[in-house]
Order: sequence, then structure tokens, then C-alpha cells
Amino acid sequence: MSRYLSAGRIMQEKKFDRTFDALKDIVAFTDEFFEHEEVDSSIRSIVDLAVEELFTNMVKYDTETTEDILIGLKRVDNGIEVCLTDFNVERFDPTEAAEIDIAAPLEERSETGLGLYLVLKMVDTIHYEYRNRQSKITFWKSAGDQHVRD
Amino acid sequence: MFEIDFGEGGEVVVAGRLDAAQADKAQTFLDQVPEPHVIDMGGLKYISSAGLGVLLKTQKRLMAGGGGLKLVNVSNHINDIFRYSGFDKLFEIETGGS
Repeated sequence: MSRYLSAGRIMQEKKFDRTFDALKDIVAFTDEFFEHEEVDSSIRSIVDLAVEELFTNMVKYDTETTEDILIGLKRVDNGIEVCLTDFNVERFDPTEAAEIDIAAPLEERSETGLGLYLVLKMVDTIHYEYRNRQSKITFWKSAGDQHVRD
Repeated sequence: MFEIDFGEGGEVVVAGRLDAAQADKAQTFLDQVPEPHVIDMGGLKYISSAGLGVLLKTQKRLMAGGGGLKLVNVSNHINDIFRYSGFDKLFEIETGGS
């Protein structure tokens, strides 16, 4: 785990194995950060969901690499900034994920694909950057902003 | 930590965090449920899209036989996830969990 100053705030980072079993370690990492940095717990579930969906998406689809995935957490005014970086991978921009028709009848609903849809609905802002074969996703979530995007 | 089992009344009881690491466990259990069933979600703290996929797959199987799942004691947070996902149109849902 590493800590450094970024724009006057502590950024805490840790690398995780690219397996679903790493999720419990990610939850523990997030637990510690929320407690230590006194981040508003009302946004915790949304942050957990967004981190899991983005992390598992990297695990499932960026299969040409074996490198760990880096997760960084930073306290910002009234909320949190979260950054996930995947190394030595092809470009995949989650902000371009296909829309889901949530009004479709049961027989037309797919059991996959909801994850990125929910992330894009529930976080305040999300940014994607691809450089030197590094895929970097940053999102922000603030307390008191529990609306979802249309 | 995720737990799934039958309750005293025969309902399915789930508790803990239903994430991508636990989805196979949940699916394996629900694949054995042969008929329309109640799932008590009062102890469920968290669900991700992997868990939603498990519920959707089970609902498709049961609805094909004329039944379906009823989700009860759903917390407000998880009910929000269900609404954002359109599950309120696909499942019978009762809120009431913490």
C-alpha cells in the first residue's frame, strides 16, 4: 500500500490480484479508508458497487495481462475520488458501454451487462484515460448527491 | 461473507454480501429451488450486478414454469438498485429490511 499527496489530499493506493477473490481485500481496503478519512458512509454502497463492477470488468475482459490492478482512493470535498488502473491492456472505455433497456420484458433481459450501466447511472462523474497501454478509470461520488442520471 | 439457506418456513434466506465472488454459490443453491419461492433479503447488505444476474436467471427459469420469485424484507439501498435495474417490473418486491 502507498500513500502520497495529490492536489493537497492523501491518495492511498494498493494493488490487487486480478481475481474475484480479491473483492474481500478490496472491501477491507475501502473500509479502512472510509474510517480513517471519515468519508460519509451514505455513499459507501455506491462506491463499493462501482469499484466492484469496474474491477471485475477488468478481470473478465482484460485477459491478455497478468499484472495486478491498482486501486487508488482520495478524499475530496464531501466525497471520494476513486481510480482504477489496469496495466498492459487494450483500450476499453466503460463510458461507452451500451445502454440497457430496463423496461424490456423478462425474456429479453440479459443476465449480464448491468454492471457498467449501474456505474454510469450512480456515480457523479466518470473519466477514462488510455495511455502507454494503461487503462485508467477515475470516478467521483459525493454525499448528498444520491440522484441517478437519466 | 455471504450465506444462503432455507429458513424455518421454507423460504430462502440470504445474508451478507452477494458479489461476483459469491454469485456461483448463490446460483448453485437457487438452481435447486424447484418452484415459486420467497427470498428473505432482510440480512442482505450488498448486491452487485453478478447477484442481479443470479436473480434474473432464476426468475426466467421459474417464470417459464408459471411461477416466480418474491423478494421480501428488501432494504432501501438494495431496492434502489432493483429500481435502477428495472427489477421492480420483473419481480414482486416487498421492502422492509434495514
